[in-house]
Amino acid sequence: MTQPGEFTYCRTHHASREVLFDCMTQPEHLTRFWGPDGTTTPLDGITVDLRPGGAFETVMVSLSDGSQFTMRAVFLEVSRPERLVWTEPDVEGGMVTTITFTDLGDGRTEVVTHQTNVPFMYAGPETRKGFETSLRRFGDYIAGLTAG
Amino acid sequence: MTALATDELSLSFAALADPTRRAILTRLSAGEATVGQLAEPFALTQQAISKHLKVLERAGLISRSRAAQARPCRIEPAGLELAADWVDRHRQLWHERYNRLDQHLAALQADDSPT
Repeated sequence: MTQPGEFTYCRTHHASREVLFDCMTQPEHLTRFWGPDGTTTPLDGITVDLRPGGAFETVMVSLSDGSQFTMRAVFLEVSRPERLVWTEPDVEGGMVTTITFTDLGDGRTEVVTHQTNVPFMYAGPETRKGFETSLRRFGDYIAGLTAG
Repeated sequence: MTALATDELSLSFAALADPTRRAILTRLSAGEATVGQLAEPFALTQQAISKHLKVLERAGLISRSRAAQARPCRIEPAGLELAADWVDRHRQLWHERYNRLDQHLAALQADDSPT
């Protein structure tokens, strides 16, 4: 169950837990997929000190304008191949990311990404619903103005 | 993301991290309200509510009318949209990251397969 301030993302991959865990923790793998589309994550900008208290840092570089975004995290738990936990102290409130790898028994692995203290996720469903209502009313208001 | 947008977002997120301020936003999403009206459902003084309103106003999530003496507060859709966009982008980031991981896995398996 996702609580206010939390974010969950679930995916199934055709690979073993060990391969997936290594992909998420080895710079040679991370450089291939870590940044979002439109960015690169150069190998020399990746730091992985794979132990509780160790640093996990990545620099994502925009392909369009070269601007950089650095993620600075610290590992809290390193349990190959079941679980990987890190925190980002720079993010308001200290965002924590937990990645859980579950063997589905047919060569596939379920990867659940769960984050707590995600800043905007604090706006719970009821608040977001309120926002939507408000936005819709605002849209109607603008439509009314242009119609009149 | 520009530095300016990041700063605005930090303010929005800091503002949203407090449950009283979220409750105030929920109340305001139903319509304008004065400080007195907002203080009623909370066991808080108008002074305490005013402090919360200042944080929300600085974050661009609400605005306060200067026309009337009671200075009613209203929600600012643009500020909320900025934050809502961030949520979409955040989900998109993980989505793209795992799509690329899948491509990487396929490449690894192609390398491993006997030729």
